[in-house]
Amino acid sequence: MSVEIDTRPLWLILSLKALRPAFFIALALLFWFLATMPTPEGLSIEGQRAIAVFAVCLILWVSNMVPLAITSLFAIVLVPLFGVLSKKDTYALFGNEAVFFILGAFMLAGAIMHSGLSNRIALNIMERFGDSPRKLLLSIFLLAAVLSFFMSEHAVAAMLFPIVFDISKGLNLRPGKSNYGKLLFFALAWGCVIGGVGTFLGGARVPLAIGILKETTGRTIEFLDYTVAVLPLVVIMLLVGYFLLTRFFPIDVEGVESAHQVLVKRLKGLGKMSYDEYAVGAVLGVTILGWIFLGKQAGLATVALVAVVVLFVLKLVRWKDIEEYVNWGIILMYGGAIILGTALDKSGAAAWMVNSALSGWATTPWTVFAVFSLLSIFLTEAMSNAAVIAILLPVSVGMADSLSMDPAIVTYSIAVPAGLAFMFPMSTPANAIAVSSHYISVKDMAKGGFIMCITAWVVFNLVAAFYWPLIGMGYTK
Amino acid sequence: MKKNYLNTPGALKIDLMLRGIRIDDPVVKAWACGSSGIDIMLPQNTPVNIPCSEEFTGSSPYIIKKKGSGYAITDGKGEVGVSLLERPAFYNKKTSTGVHFSNIGASHGSYTVITPSPRCDFFNRSIECKYCAGNFDIKGRDNTVYSVEEVIETVEAVLKEKSSGVIYFSIGFSDTDDGGIEFLKPYIKAVKKQFNCLVAVEALPPKENHWIEETYALGADSVLYNLEIFDKELFELICPGRAQLIGQKRYMEALAHAAKIFPNGTVASHLIVGLEPPGSTCQGIDFLTEMGVVPILPIYRPSKGRALRIEPLNTEIIIPVYKHLYGALKKKGISLNWVRDISMVTTPLEVRELVEGGGKTIAESFYNSKLGRKTAWGLSTLRRKLRVKDSKDEGH
Ligand code: SF4
Repeated sequence: MSVEIDTRPLWLILSLKALRPAFFIALALLFWFLATMPTPEGLSIEGQRAIAVFAVCLILWVSNMVPLAITSLFAIVLVPLFGVLSKKDTYALFGNEAVFFILGAFMLAGAIMHSGLSNRIALNIMERFGDSPRKLLLSIFLLAAVLSFFMSEHAVAAMLFPIVFDISKGLNLRPGKSNYGKLLFFALAWGCVIGGVGTFLGGARVPLAIGILKETTGRTIEFLDYTVAVLPLVVIMLLVGYFLLTRFFPIDVEGVESAHQVLVKRLKGLGKMSYDEYAVGAVLGVTILGWIFLGKQAGLATVALVAVVVLFVLKLVRWKDIEEYVNWGIILMYGGAIILGTALDKSGAAAWMVNSALSGWATTPWTVFAVFSLLSIFLTEAMSNAAVIAILLPVSVGMADSLSMDPAIVTYSIAVPAGLAFMFPMSTPANAIAVSSHYISVKDMAKGGFIMCITAWVVFNLVAAFYWPLIGMGYTK
Repeated sequence: MKKNYLNTPGALKIDLMLRGIRIDDPVVKAWACGSSGIDIMLPQNTPVNIPCSEEFTGSSPYIIKKKGSGYAITDGKGEVGVSLLERPAFYNKKTSTGVHFSNIGASHGSYTVITPSPRCDFFNRSIECKYCAGNFDIKGRDNTVYSVEEVIETVEAVLKEKSSGVIYFSIGFSDTDDGGIEFLKPYIKAVKKQFNCLVAVEALPPKENHWIEETYALGADSVLYNLEIFDKELFELICPGRAQLIGQKRYMEALAHAAKIFPNGTVASHLIVGLEPPGSTCQGIDFLTEMGVVPILPIYRPSKGRALRIEPLNTEIIIPVYKHLYGALKKKGISLNWVRDISMVTTPLEVRELVEGGGKTIAESFYNSKLGRKTAWGLSTLRRKLRVKDSKDEGH
């Protein structure tokens, strides 16, 4: 048992305790106000209520006044209760592929950790890069980014998580307190996020965007063209990300050398790789290949869950072994976020917000690009990136047509920023996984993520304005 | 006898504790039989435990005698009416396992000392405190450990009598980092779970401060790390175990930290009057009160073969020390309400009469009432609820 005694004056503690009920009363009043105020023109009553639920959940997610998963449960309850979606539709959305993908990823990560393979990999990385905290940090950052070029960033985050966690434990970093602990998990999350926009393979959003583009205009974007257009953004953001992180959280460990000898000893202590490690490693390797080559047809979740079943068939893990590794809170949170995103989409609330925010702004191709990319990058913080694309792309393609803009460019303006979710754990599973380590708080992520979002938006617009013309791309047709 | 203390209960208490009392009356003799002292209630509800069996009491000017239907104490020139404090009824009862409650608990006015184990490891190393077994009945090599159930039965019997509102756990030295708090943990938890009473813990300072926080979080409302002697050399001489294995410095650190954690006036430390020069005790008082700690000043009772008392020592010399204690506590704004109504020591509130005159205030009488005790318990529990941070993760 480890206890902490609050030695601040009692009146202060009492006042702070009173803040909590006051906060919830204020939140209830805000919800009531948003849900019952006269419905704005163009917005349905369901849309208005969806916005009210969204506002309440966003505040709860950011303030962390109740656990993230409980906020999601709250969203799941409020959406059907206020008639935004039917009960059946709401609960069915929980069966979304993304939820099962995360479940499978957690189980896989559990198996890797339980077999000791992640420990071995972590020890190897630490031993190899053990001479400098900077190199170790950079290696995790780049490893996450490069792997996300080839497979879903979600999967990379889930795969690297146990390794980074073991490294943090190996260095005795205190969750929530250690700057270096924060840096390692930010490197993991942001590496995945930045790398994830580098190719089509980083996530489902680019294929989805191109699908919509093709459906509405008949145009498409080639795999290589996309990567060539986006690569400078990825490189610049990696540099900016590393710079900002090391400024926000100055490295507070003397070196990883002190642990080096211990690491070598531990590595020796592990002995040869066991059958279980080889087998789990092989299943993981095949799963990665499955995600790369079969992900599109079979679905990422299917590949992940098949891998989990194989692990059990081969008796490499028992249910008891991996049960503790499954973060049910994150699964609930993500399910709730998907339901909320869908509620905003289906009720027309999201489209209404876009329309009301854009009228009077989007008058030139440059402003359309700037405004849509800004909207996309901020909306993706609060809702699933696929939902952002589903909401923004049809509106923007229509708008592009009226301004004689290239619809492919507009697609970029939404699909790329939709992947750059730096601010919140509910923005993308990579962030959620990093926050679940307890090394990073939601506040830490929101603060650093906000600056990264603005920077990414500026860099993206500069790349579009100055680099794209060099490779034959322009705003207009 | 230079002065007459019969009309000032605070001073009389000191004089009686210092000189003891002679007993002629056969009823009182039978009453006191087997006890370390006789428990008497002086005027103004001032309880006192007066030595009556030690050698030095033979020369005491005080005699207790029957007067009408009650009793009186006389010094030959005057007398004052007193009453005998009834021996707690639980002393004659046993636990369901056959242990005498009096082996586990001893009442001393408003509090009852509970000793779950009478062992102290200093005895096994022959570095015990030289005065030991004077104030508390702690034996050396006795390895008896009373079960939680036995202690709970005792506490239940104690609280039924309604005289004691504070359960005071006391343990000797054990060579652990926690100062014995891990050992006391199940007892404190069980008492706090079953009864609405205040709990004090008298232990030796733990090696690390987090144990002090745990002590508070567990349910202790008050803590005592008894320094006993402030003079460093005398401390080393008389308390070799405490000096060698803990050290005065650690006592000071632990007390200072406890004063930050526990409520005002609930962290205390004994300084035994009579084992060091009064000037040194006064220095100790200043040092402790500066940290927010209440010095408690028991008077050393010499027993056969343990002639440690400094000489000369009389009430005229001691009273200024108690007055100094009262002044120091007032100056530092330390609450006087916790250390009260104890028969074994003269409390600061009892000294107030000597400094300012006047008896108990309405607030003090309230604190002593059943409702007052319930209020004190309620406030103490609420304070703990507010202060102890929930370590359970509320985040994700
Ligand atoms: S610590 Fe000293 S006074 Fe207490 S029981 Fe041990 S020897 Fe006796």
